[in-house]
Amino acid sequence: MSATRIHSKPKSWLWGTLTSIRLTVFLLLILAAVAVIGTVVPQNQPPNQYFSRFGEVWGELLWRGGFTRVYFSPWFLGPISLLAANILACVIHGLPQAVKRTLQPLTVSAALTLPERGRIIWPAGIDPQPLIAATLKRELGHCRQETLPDQEIYLLERGRCRPVGPYLIHVALLLILAGGLIGKFGGVDGQLAIDQGEVAGAFQVAPRVEKPLNFQVRLDKFQVSYYEPGGSPKEFRSDLTFMQDGREVSRATCRVNEPVSFGGLTFYQSSYGAQATGPVRLQVQKGGLNQTVEVAYRRPVDLAGGEGKVWLMQVDGNHQGYGPAVLIASQAGADHPMAFWIFQNLPGLAKSPYHPGLVKQPGVYSFTVESIPFGYYSVFQVKHDPGVGWVYAGFLLLLPGLYLAFFRPVERWALVLAKTPQGTWQGRLLGASPRHREEFAARQERLLTELKRGTQS
Amino acid sequence: MISQVLGAVMLIYLLVAILFLMAELWSSARLQGLGRIVLWLGLGLHTGALTGRWWKSYHLALGHSPTAALAGKLQIMIIQAPLSNFYESLIFFSWCLPALGLLAFRRYFKGYLGAMVALLSTLLLAYASFGVDSQIKPLMPALKSNWLLIHVVTAFLGYAAFALAFGTAILYLFQERRPRPSLPPLPLLDSLIYRTTVLGFLMLTLGIATGAVWAETAWGRYWSWDPKETWSLITWFIYAALLHARHLKGWHGRRIAWLAVLGFMAVLFTYLGVSFLLTGLHSYLT
Ligand code: HEM
Repeated sequence: MSATRIHSKPKSWLWGTLTSIRLTVFLLLILAAVAVIGTVVPQNQPPNQYFSRFGEVWGELLWRGGFTRVYFSPWFLGPISLLAANILACVIHGLPQAVKRTLQPLTVSAALTLPERGRIIWPAGIDPQPLIAATLKRELGHCRQETLPDQEIYLLERGRCRPVGPYLIHVALLLILAGGLIGKFGGVDGQLAIDQGEVAGAFQVAPRVEKPLNFQVRLDKFQVSYYEPGGSPKEFRSDLTFMQDGREVSRATCRVNEPVSFGGLTFYQSSYGAQATGPVRLQVQKGGLNQTVEVAYRRPVDLAGGEGKVWLMQVDGNHQGYGPAVLIASQAGADHPMAFWIFQNLPGLAKSPYHPGLVKQPGVYSFTVESIPFGYYSVFQVKHDPGVGWVYAGFLLLLPGLYLAFFRPVERWALVLAKTPQGTWQGRLLGASPRHREEFAARQERLLTELKRGTQS
Repeated sequence: MISQVLGAVMLIYLLVAILFLMAELWSSARLQGLGRIVLWLGLGLHTGALTGRWWKSYHLALGHSPTAALAGKLQIMIIQAPLSNFYESLIFFSWCLPALGLLAFRRYFKGYLGAMVALLSTLLLAYASFGVDSQIKPLMPALKSNWLLIHVVTAFLGYAAFALAFGTAILYLFQERRPRPSLPPLPLLDSLIYRTTVLGFLMLTLGIATGAVWAETAWGRYWSWDPKETWSLITWFIYAALLHARHLKGWHGRRIAWLAVLGFMAVLFTYLGVSFLLTGLHSYLT
């Protein structure tokens, strides 16, 4: 006997800790603190960012301590696993009892222990039973009636399922956490950048790591449109063709908020850009001198007159909604290079007083664009996450759980009707509600007034 | 026009607060009744202004992408709900306060409690009208989703319910320190804190879940540990802790009131602090 006790002691300590709400609160506090760190320290930046921002010592500490990827570090994964164990233990500990309570209807003996809420005595000669049945039915719905040798008992209960509510919530949380894990270990997540017209057969799952697709995808066309020139973007749209062994299988349009699925993977429009596909031709003017130059990325070209050089930094197929434009850098002598945009369709913009800043052309030369050969590329998030279904199932299960836990009033009532020695009927109203005291009190008052109405005639 | 109406609504709520306070000081049932009527008037105008703005942005959007089909129009109607920038969120937040207050407080929506709600709403409207860009701008692609409506509505109903819990908790703490017969009794305040917190918890849960579903369709990631998401989770933890403390540890009264205050600080940080101090997907202020 003593052997079993020794054996069971450490286990019950562990179990007691695992099922304790104190552990829950402790873990929630730690998780909150770690999450605060995660929102204050920018996440997933390259290391030099931290050194320049937080200094050598702190930068090193944050980087080495895992605080720069805190949601994937032991600081977070440890407590969250413990929380999962905590919730699971609570479910195992309490669910069977909650289910049992839900399945067990209110018994007469249990009803008789409810606190008394009022007494009604009907005058001689009146049978109150029809009134009672009608009143209770109107106020509380269906009731059960039990007949004992010398008394009639009406039993009513609402919200018997309430005890399972919190457990539905906790099971839902476990489903969500499980979904996260399943997605992390059983899913794929990567990026795909394709040029317009290009066919891709692989996507990137990590820096310099590619994963083959078991089909091919072609970007037929990428378009960006604006509400108005100079306004905000209206739509990014990629027209895709999916191919199997070089044969077209299906076409689809991918937009933000409208992902496209094929072959078990889902493609989400994530970003885009444009690239020069050949040299950009510029017209350069200085005084009466006219010159055409071809510029390429990062390759400075000397300008006639020798007072400067230019090179190409970026092209954009529809810059701010004003059509094709190039970002040009120019350098005069030993000065710092200056960068500015030139719009192909708006050559006058450079001289317009309304657009200073990025379109203002420095130096003695003035530039206009002759041609911009360019092609768009589009970047997609590519993903397969088998955990999403679990997470959504958890979300759905939260709804009945929250309803039962918080919005289903729990009330138990009993009306015990007995004959007094004088031959009249006497009723005792018993009832209780662990929560919702206010509603309970209001109902009690209504019930008593209604029932007493029969005593006045 | 709409901003003038909202200015009037702000003054009306201020008047409601004054009427409720005077009614309490002079124990006048007539002033209470008047306060109620003026409150309903303000709420009606406020609803009208929201609808007007909805109508206006619907027509602007229709101008950008004309459609004759009913389904297309309905689609535009849904995504153009006036909930897409900071100004509109403030206007909706300040609408939720009296609306939810009437629902949660019912006949106790009067006196100090009523004045508290009306004042909170006045403050939000004042902030919206003096400090925030109120222009209607076309939606950026990421916001064009049916989930926008349900996500923002649930989130702000949650914020508003927590604001009511906060205001009630402040009244509780005052009443406890210096009892006054004109303030509602402590057990009533306690149960109202609980009722509003439960309402807020439900709404915040729905807000987080719908946001996750939306993020999954927009970016393929239902959770990205963006600062706003993270802070909403922290807020959710705090209220979960409050509910556990109340139901399992039997906490009542002062300690619950302090937790409601703490929770609302987290709400404010989620709503404002994240946008002003941190950056991420939700920084719609810029
Ligand atoms: C983030 C984690 C958790 C959340 C969001 C959560 C949420 C909830 C909610 C909403 C309720 C219903 C409200 C109530 O009746 O008080 C509840 C009740 C409860 N929770 Fe949790 N819970 C969490 C973790 C836990 C854990 C780890 C335990 C185990 C120690 C636990 C034990 C309980 C119990 C025993 C109840 C009360 C059941 C009853 O009222 O009959 N919870 N929880």
